[in-house]
Amino acid sequence: MIKIWSMKKDTENGAKKKPKTSAAQLRVQKDITELELPSTMSTHFPNPADLLNFELIIKPDEGMYKGGAFKFTFNISNNYPHEAPKVKLTQKIYHPNLDHQGNVCLNILREDWKPVLNLNAVVVGLQYLFLEPNAEDPLNKDAAKDLLADRNQFKAWVRSSMSGRPVKGEPYDNVMA
Amino acid sequence: MRVKINEWRTFSHWKWDGCDVEDLCGICQNYLDNSCPNCSLPGDDCPLIWGKCNHTFHMHCILKWLSLESSKGQCPMDRQQWETQ
Repeated sequence: MIKIWSMKKDTENGAKKKPKTSAAQLRVQKDITELELPSTMSTHFPNPADLLNFELIIKPDEGMYKGGAFKFTFNISNNYPHEAPKVKLTQKIYHPNLDHQGNVCLNILREDWKPVLNLNAVVVGLQYLFLEPNAEDPLNKDAAKDLLADRNQFKAWVRSSMSGRPVKGEPYDNVMA
Repeated sequence: MRVKINEWRTFSHWKWDGCDVEDLCGICQNYLDNSCPNCSLPGDDCPLIWGKCNHTFHMHCILKWLSLESSKGQCPMDRQQWETQ
């Protein structure tokens, strides 16, 4: 009798010690398993036990941002997938849809997020920003104006900003891979 | 004849009417026949809910989404105003 009771107590304690996997963690786990990254993208988990915080590196192989290596941080809240992941670029670049603090203007990361979207959708959206910078609804209004005014001049400024040269007095990070 | 049972195992099979075995809840990505991630057992305590748009979710999953302002009361699949069937 005594033995049985103490055994039960032990298993109860054991169950308490085991950390509970949250709904967000379970969902992220599925998303990561289904993530199909092309050769131009890779992920890095600074703490492999923490799936909610990781980095995504995009190295576009075409378009005006070709040759750069852009490092984003993903911060996923415990409300995921009801809340969009928080995505930030770690470098300062010249791009109409990214501000100088690394905030990203991508509809599905903001007003158009819905919980049936997954990390694959976000990653595809980010890659698209480098292939097709969008001058409508910009975060960097100057860059958007430049893109609309003269696409070739804009392209030249993108190239020089990527190797760390200033554009119109504004310094940028060297992002060349 | 007397039979002495030393050990037995129980087994049960569970299936909701109105959805396929492979159907997933678009929100949590669990099978609809399984519970939502915040419940441990499927069944009446974690029911399914059908919209007029015919999209199906765990009730707990869709109610959580609809309770957020960012949902604008819309079905996450088609962005139509959510109305329960």
